[in-house]
Amino acid sequence: MTQAEIKLCSLLLQEHFGEIVEKIGVHLIRTGSQPLRVIAHDTGTSLDQVKKALCVLIQHNLVIYQVHKRGVVEYEAQCSRVLRMLRYPRYIYTAKTLYSDTGELIVEELLLNGKMTMSAVVKKVADRLTETMEDGKTMDYAEVSNTFVRLADTHFVQRCPLVPATENSDSGPPPPAPTLVISEKDMYLVPKLSLIGKGKRRRSSEEDATGEPKAKRPKHTADNKEPIPDDGIYWQADLDRFHQHFRDQAIVSAVANRMDQTSSEIVRTMLRMSEITTSSSAPFTQPLSSNEIFRSLPVGYNISKQVLDQYLTLLADDPLEFVGKSGDSGGGMYVINLHKALGSLATATLESVVQERFGSRCARIFRLVLQKKHLEQKQVEDFAMIPAKEAKDMLYKMLSENFISLQEIPKTPDHAPSRTFYLYTVNILSAARMLLHRCYKSIANLIERRQFETKENKRLLEKSQRVEAIIASMQATGAEEAQLQEIEEMITAPERQQLETLKRNVNKLDASEIQVDETIFLLESYIESTMKRQ
Amino acid sequence: MAEVKVKVQPPDADPVEIENRIIELCQQFPHGITDQVIQNEMPHIEAQQRAVAINRLLSMGQLDLLRSNTGLLYRIKDSQNAGPVSFFLSKMKGSDNQEKLVYQIIEDAGNKGIWSRDIRYKSNLPLTEINKILKNLESKKLIKAVKSVAASKKKVYMLYNLQPDRSVTGGAWYSDQDFESEFVEVLNQQCFKFLQTKAETARESKQNPMIQRNSSFASSHEVWKYICELGISKVELSMEDIETILNTLIYDGKVEMTIIAAKEGTVGSVDGHMKLYRAVNPIIPPTGLVRAPCGLCPVFDDCHEGGEISPSNCIYMTEWLEF
Repeated sequence: MTQAEIKLCSLLLQEHFGEIVEKIGVHLIRTGSQPLRVIAHDTGTSLDQVKKALCVLIQHNLVIYQVHKRGVVEYEAQCSRVLRMLRYPRYIYTAKTLYSDTGELIVEELLLNGKMTMSAVVKKVADRLTETMEDGKTMDYAEVSNTFVRLADTHFVQRCPLVPATENSDSGPPPPAPTLVISEKDMYLVPKLSLIGKGKRRRSSEEDATGEPKAKRPKHTADNKEPIPDDGIYWQADLDRFHQHFRDQAIVSAVANRMDQTSSEIVRTMLRMSEITTSSSAPFTQPLSSNEIFRSLPVGYNISKQVLDQYLTLLADDPLEFVGKSGDSGGGMYVINLHKALGSLATATLESVVQERFGSRCARIFRLVLQKKHLEQKQVEDFAMIPAKEAKDMLYKMLSENFISLQEIPKTPDHAPSRTFYLYTVNILSAARMLLHRCYKSIANLIERRQFETKENKRLLEKSQRVEAIIASMQATGAEEAQLQEIEEMITAPERQQLETLKRNVNKLDASEIQVDETIFLLESYIESTMKRQ
Repeated sequence: MAEVKVKVQPPDADPVEIENRIIELCQQFPHGITDQVIQNEMPHIEAQQRAVAINRLLSMGQLDLLRSNTGLLYRIKDSQNAGPVSFFLSKMKGSDNQEKLVYQIIEDAGNKGIWSRDIRYKSNLPLTEINKILKNLESKKLIKAVKSVAASKKKVYMLYNLQPDRSVTGGAWYSDQDFESEFVEVLNQQCFKFLQTKAETARESKQNPMIQRNSSFASSHEVWKYICELGISKVELSMEDIETILNTLIYDGKVEMTIIAAKEGTVGSVDGHMKLYRAVNPIIPPTGLVRAPCGLCPVFDDCHEGGEISPSNCIYMTEWLEF
C-alpha cells in the first residue's frame, strides 16, 4: 500500500466511522494481518474498543478474518475495499437511474449498513419513501420487495456468505472463527417472504396533538416482537456488478463519441446480452450472432436487419477494434474486445492528461511515440513537424514526469554515450500506475481542503444551526412573524454570504472528488485487466 | 586496326618532342597505349627519358594513367572526360596535387556535399592543409559551403554550381535553414477543416451507414488537390508532403487513416493502395483528474499537509474555488 493510499484510507475511515475505527483500520492496512491482541497492544487501545472497531469494519466488509494454524484468528484489512467508499455516490446514482427512487434507497441502505436482512431493508426503505410522499399516501412493502427482487435478479445485490449448517455441531469445541461459505447458485436467491405492510411515517412530536402517538407506540414495539422470517440471510451490494456496469457505460459512450448514436445502442445491446454470461474479468464477451442481436434490440429502434448488419460490419472494421468478428454462423458472430476497449480508454485518459498539463504539441509527440513504439530524437522531430529545439524541450519535460521513458541500445560493448542509440518509448502500464498514484493523492488533497474549509467556518456553521433549531421550535409553538424575523436577523447578511460560499465550495470539492474517482476507475480497471492476462 | 605510321625519327632527346609524339600516339589509340607501344614507337629513347616525359604529361593532366590486366595504360584525356577538371586545371595549372585530390573528393560527393572531416579521412592530409586548400578553392569559386539543417554548425562542401540535395536543406518545410512552423500549422488547420466539413456533410446526408462512412473519407490525393487550389503555399507541395501533414493530424488524435487496395491507375493510388483519411472525435471527454487543480499542479510533489505548500493553503485551489 503506497503512502498516498494509506493517507486516503485514513481520511475516509475517519470521515465515515470516527477516530477509533480509523486508528485500528490504518494500523491494519499498514501492518497486514494481525491477531486481536497484537492490534490492541500496538495501537494502545483497550481490547473492548478494538473489538467494537473490528465489528464495524467487518460489518462493512472492510476487514476479513482467517483462522490460522494453532487456532489463531488474524484480521486483515482490505485497502482496495476502503477506497471503494469514494464510489458510493456513483453506485447509488446508478441504482437510481436503473430502478428509480426505490432502488436508490435500497442500495443506499445496503451500502451504509454493510449487511442487512431483506425484511429490514424493505421496512426501512418503505418508511423513508413514505416520509417524502404526500400526506395520506404510504409506500407498500410489496413494491419495495419487487424492486429488491429485481436488483437481486440482475445481480446488483447478493447474499453474504453464511455459516454452514453443520450436522455434527457437537463433535468438538467450535472453531474460534467460523468459515463462511456460500454456493454460487444461492447467491442471488431471494427468500420467499410475504412482507405485508405499509411504510410508517415517523411522526414528529408537533403533529401528534392528540393521544395518537401513545396509541401508535405500543403497536410499534409489538411489531418488533414478531420473529423476522429471514433471520440470518444477509444481503450486501455486489460492487463488481456495479463496476461491470460502469465499464459498459464507458465503452458505450466511447463508441457514441467516435461513431453515432445507433452504433452505441447496438454495442449497449450486445453488452447487456453478455452481462450474465460473461465474467467480469474476461477479455472477450461470448460471441453473439447477428440474429440474436437483432432480436434483442430495444423496441424503439426499428432498423432493418440489413442496416444492422452494415453497422456491425462498420463496428468490426473500425480502427478502434472494440468489436471483432469471430465467425460467420448465424449471420456473423461478433464479440466485444473488452481488454482492448479498456486499454484504449486508459490510453485516452493518459493522452488527455498530457494534453491538459503540457499542451497540444506535447500531446502530439506523446501520441506519436505511443503509436510508433520506439523513436529516436531526430525521428520524433521529423514525424511531428515540430522544430528541433522545442521538440527536445517537450520530450525532456515529459521524461522528467515519467510519462515517457528512454530505452538504451548500445552499439559498442562499452556503452559509450556517443555510440548508443537512445529511443523514446511509452510504457502504458507504468504510466497508468503513476497516474493512479497521483489521483489518490489528489483526492486526499481535496478531502483535506474540504475539511479545512469546514473547520474554518465552524463557528459560523454552529451559529446557523442554532438559529435554525430556534426557528423550528418557535414555529412549532406558533410564534409570530415578527419574532421569526428577529431571530433570522441574528445571522447578518455577510455571514449569510459566507455560508453560501462555503456551501458552494464544499459542493464543488465533493463533485471534484467524484470526477477524479472516474479516472481512478478507468485506470484501475485497465491495470487489473492487464495483470490478469499476464 | 589503324595504320601505324612508322616514322624513323632522328635520335633527338628533346623532351617536348617526345611528349608530343606520345600525345599523338595516344590520340591514335583512344583506348590507351601501353608502355610497350611507346617503346616500340621510339626505340631509340632511353627508358628514363621516356619516364620523365610520361610523368610530365601526367602531371599536366593530359594523360590518364590506368591499370589494365596487361599492365599500365596511358590514355589521352579527351575534352568530354576532362570537363570541369580540365577547365579547373586550365585555371590552376601550377597548384598542388593535394588541391586536385581534395577537389576530386568533393566532386565525388555529388550534391549531398561532404564534411571537412570526411575529406581529411579520404585524403589523409593534415587538418591545417585541408583548411588552407578549402579556403583557396572557395576563393576561386570552385566549391561552396552549404549549412546543413541537421546540425547547424556543420558545413558541407560541394561543387559551386550544384543544387544542394533535399536532405541537406530540409525540403519544403525549411526556408533558409529555418523550420517554418507557422506554415506547417496553417496547412495543418486547413487540412483538418477540409476533412471535418467532409465528415459533417456525410453525417447529415443520413443515408445508410456504409455510404455515410465511405463518403466521409477523403483520399490523400483529394486533400492534395484542395490544398494546391487553396494556393496558400508559395512552394510546390508534393503528395508526400501532404501525407506528412496528415500524419501530424493523426498524431493530434483528430484524424484516422485507413489503407485500401486500389486499382493501379485510379487517381492517387501509389503501388496499388490508397490512403484515406477521416476526421474523428476523441473517445472520451477530458478526464476527471484534470478538472481538479491537483491534476495540473506544477508543485504537486512538494505538497503535503503541514508544509509550505499544502491543500489547506493551496493558492490554485483558492482561485479555482472562486471561479
